[in-house]
Amino acid sequence: MKKSYLLAILLVVVAVVLLFQTGNATSEYANFAKAAESGSKVQLVGTYVKDKPTIYDPLTDPNYFSFFLEDLAGTEREVILLMGKPQDFEMSESIVLTGRMKDDKFIASDIQMKCPSKYKDQEEMINSLTES
Amino acid sequence: MEEIQYINEHLGPRYIGHFAILLAFFAGILSMVSYFLATQYREEVLRSRSWQRLGQLSFLAHGAAVFTVIGCIFFAMLNQYYEYQYVTAHVDGQLQQRYIFSAFWEGQEGSFLLWTFWHVILGYVLMVTARSWEKPVMAVICSVQVVIVSMLLGVHFGFGDFILKFGSNPMLLLRETVNAPIFQQADYVSLLRGNGLNPSLQNYWMTIHPPTLFLGFASTVVPFAYAVAGLWTGRHREWLRPGLQWSLFSAGILGIGILMGAAWAYEALNFGGYWAWDPVENTSLVPWLMLVAGIHTNLISRATGQGIRATYMFYLGTFVLIVYSTFLTRSGVLGDTSVHAFTEMGLETQLLFFLVFYVVLSIGLMIWRWSHIPVPEKEEATSSREFWMFIGSLTLFMSAILITGSTSLPVYNEIRAWIDPVYEGLTLTDPEAHHNRFQIWIGIFIGLMSGVAQFLRWRERNFSQHFRYFAIHAGIAILASAVLTFLTLLWIQAPNFVYKAMIFAGWFAVWSNLDYVLFFIRKDPKVAGSVVSHIGFGIMLIGIMASSGNKRIISKNQFLMEGLTEDEEMARTTLRLYENGPLSMEDYLITFRGDTIDGLNRTYFVDYQRMDEEGKIVETFQLEPNVLYDKGFENVAITNPSTKHYWDRDIFTVIMGLPPEEQSVKVRQETEDSLQYRIMPLVVGQRESFRDTVAIPQRNSSIIYTYSVELTDFRRQINHPEYTFEPGDIGLGAEVRVSRSGGIANYDSTASVAIVLREGLLYHYPAQINDINFRVKIDERVFERLLVKDADLDYDEFVLEPGSSFTVDGQRITFQQFISQPKIDHFRAQDGDIWVSALLEADGETMQPVFLIRGNQPSGVRDEIRSLGLYAHLSSLNPETNEATLRVAKVQPQEPLAIPLAVAPRSYRTDYITIQAIEFPGINLFWFGSLSMMIGLLISMVIRLRDKRLLAAR
Repeated sequence: MKKSYLLAILLVVVAVVLLFQTGNATSEYANFAKAAESGSKVQLVGTYVKDKPTIYDPLTDPNYFSFFLEDLAGTEREVILLMGKPQDFEMSESIVLTGRMKDDKFIASDIQMKCPSKYKDQEEMINSLTES
Repeated sequence: MEEIQYINEHLGPRYIGHFAILLAFFAGILSMVSYFLATQYREEVLRSRSWQRLGQLSFLAHGAAVFTVIGCIFFAMLNQYYEYQYVTAHVDGQLQQRYIFSAFWEGQEGSFLLWTFWHVILGYVLMVTARSWEKPVMAVICSVQVVIVSMLLGVHFGFGDFILKFGSNPMLLLRETVNAPIFQQADYVSLLRGNGLNPSLQNYWMTIHPPTLFLGFASTVVPFAYAVAGLWTGRHREWLRPGLQWSLFSAGILGIGILMGAAWAYEALNFGGYWAWDPVENTSLVPWLMLVAGIHTNLISRATGQGIRATYMFYLGTFVLIVYSTFLTRSGVLGDTSVHAFTEMGLETQLLFFLVFYVVLSIGLMIWRWSHIPVPEKEEATSSREFWMFIGSLTLFMSAILITGSTSLPVYNEIRAWIDPVYEGLTLTDPEAHHNRFQIWIGIFIGLMSGVAQFLRWRERNFSQHFRYFAIHAGIAILASAVLTFLTLLWIQAPNFVYKAMIFAGWFAVWSNLDYVLFFIRKDPKVAGSVVSHIGFGIMLIGIMASSGNKRIISKNQFLMEGLTEDEEMARTTLRLYENGPLSMEDYLITFRGDTIDGLNRTYFVDYQRMDEEGKIVETFQLEPNVLYDKGFENVAITNPSTKHYWDRDIFTVIMGLPPEEQSVKVRQETEDSLQYRIMPLVVGQRESFRDTVAIPQRNSSIIYTYSVELTDFRRQINHPEYTFEPGDIGLGAEVRVSRSGGIANYDSTASVAIVLREGLLYHYPAQINDINFRVKIDERVFERLLVKDADLDYDEFVLEPGSSFTVDGQRITFQQFISQPKIDHFRAQDGDIWVSALLEADGETMQPVFLIRGNQPSGVRDEIRSLGLYAHLSSLNPETNEATLRVAKVQPQEPLAIPLAVAPRSYRTDYITIQAIEFPGINLFWFGSLSMMIGLLISMVIRLRDKRLLAAR
């Protein structure tokens, strides 16, 4: 099966090349500074700033949700999410956004939230389990 | 501390369950060792047989123990023994019985048990059917069982500060897992409630998807075990036959399990699709790809003797990938890259051991036996079928590597971070686009090859002889596929060459396999399964292109936002609908009609009217997306889509959001409380005005409006559309006219409001005037003003005939006549009532107290003339003398009743929903094609099993 071996090796090489190409499709989680620098689509991690205003008014635009996010470097910027306000948004522990910087705002077209498990401490859990 | 004697605990299942887990573990070990020795001593028949006997007996015991553990958990769940941690975590009082299975496998432990359950069943089948292969195959299966059951042991070993946790036991009591003050109470059990099943799993797909998927997962161990057995015993050709049958079964079931997951995602989740390249989806697809690659090389090996090594590697790899998938989804390493991975449970080390052990075992066996595996001297010809099948297998393998590689980024990050703690980690910017880019080419390649290979012959020696046949059939197939592709493109769009190539490859696979089956089915019925699968694959390619490549967002964004790219504009797919406000979107007129609440489930009705180009309505249908609240209506737990299915397309609709006031009763109360009501006491016909400053949203300015409120009518009866009368109600209704001036345009509208006193509780029927964000209700103080208590009045009694007059405190009153069954404002009759009123006149005003007999009980209804301060009862009447007994009281004349209206500007509307609506053309092609693929695998298996029986019969 010499030919097959050759082909197998060829395919593995192609696969490895493609996998390395994957490198181009990946990026480090950016922060606002890096996002502004690159100007292109990035993924960005941060936390929701609870004491800054959020705007979501479906009566005005159901695809416009604005809030403030603090990135891992500690910078706060306004984020405009191009969709409705996600469920349990306030409960999110950390947020991953896909989007780009436009002027000093981050335009996000996708969001993933990491929510803490429902019961952070045991006492709360027991309380919730004993309430009728 | 004194030991607490708990009461009402049910410890039976705990003791039995603990014992059964231990029994399962040790019986598994015994069985594994016995089968291992039975295999090692296979030359010495007697010695081997006695070990085999022991292995069989202990595996039977192992299986019985596994069933017992499962039984104990179900027993505790069905009886809602909340003292068990697993029961509190997954069951509650509201759980419907039909979801008890979903609740069982919601947790890690339950899903492990489901997996072991299938292993036991498969083991029993193998003990009966595997014959000479039983010993080595069962040894392998037992080893896997031991590892999995060890995850349920829940034994902790302490070495100083270092605690080694060995598994997570599902039979633990709640008080053994958490420490809380409640466990100081001896009767804590009676206080406990369950946590309940995650709402997204309360779905019938979740009853059938996990067991099917886990049967698929579990059954991959059989080809693996046969491969290990082949390497171990050195019978490299003999295992290929049973190995093939089992892998056909496994691939068919695993594939169906994966498809059920896709169907669940599409039917019950809100992401609007059936496949999202989520890591959890990927890691179940990858073993399937590997297994299918193995099936193809297995066929080659059986037909030509080539590719036995590849078959070994693919089957070993399949199971290793299953374990890898288990590791990824259950160790918590996927973290935030996946929506449905399990969270950490402290099993990482054990899972890693599981993985490393089988990787090392597989590689070790291959190295040990590499040169021992037979390879034919003669190479296959490039024009032979096996050559191209082999290429196909390698392509599938490559696809598996690519998906695994990208999915393993979190693992790579974890390792990098372990070496270099400041390393932040990489992530795929756009996973879907990334995977699609590669896999589309693989799809095209496989589609073409599954067609070409069918025109070639096994072990081709003389292609020039066969060339004519090949050229004609392949040529026709190319032509036909080109025509079919052209026709398909009239229906759906394929914006670039790659997509067109995918449709072509799909048609090519369909055509060439049809061609093949017409010629060969009589010669060899075994081809039926393969043809069904390959045609299915071709149809699936077209279906993917149609449904995903051509999905049409119906809920287009209506609002302009500048400076967005096309992609970003595409992301804006949420549509806001006002109740009964139709909206034209694409070729549909969409109207949100209303909603109903049943328990925690709230269903919305959305009407669709499809219009042709001239705007005529072609058809209408209604979709019913719903939301499920969590307990207490404080949150929306999950939204479920609703889909209209046609043979050639689906219309998918899901609720994206509700007004905050509709999401939570708490918010609704807060909003109501935050409204600044002003009280306007108005008599009928009176009109009052006030001014208010209203901010314009998202702009730093505001408008001063003037609001005028007029009470146009007031009655002691309610005409409010939402009100239904109940006996005993005291209701008041009013008509209000509200107008607003200032701003761009003036508004003027009327509204009905009402208030009801029912069994001591007040019910408001406010009016929300959405055009001007204005809210009106009757203030509850109206009752104080309206209701003068009888006890505060000083009544005089009169017995009179109609026509006579009398005087009360100087006020002359005439009893004019009886009126039988009058229709009056202050009394509402029920069925079976008998009522009569007395018409009393004073200074030109009238009142009609009522005498009522309801269910043989006499009673009455008072009436009054406020302006004269008169109150009257008709206490009884004497039919013989035609006399009425009247009780009349007089107080100071009263002002006309001013009705206190509570009005609030800046009350924003809550009668809307936001939805997403998508049309998926040709999605049934995807379902039909992919399902055919799996059914084809199962057909192949059945045909081969029948063949074997026929052979045996001969």
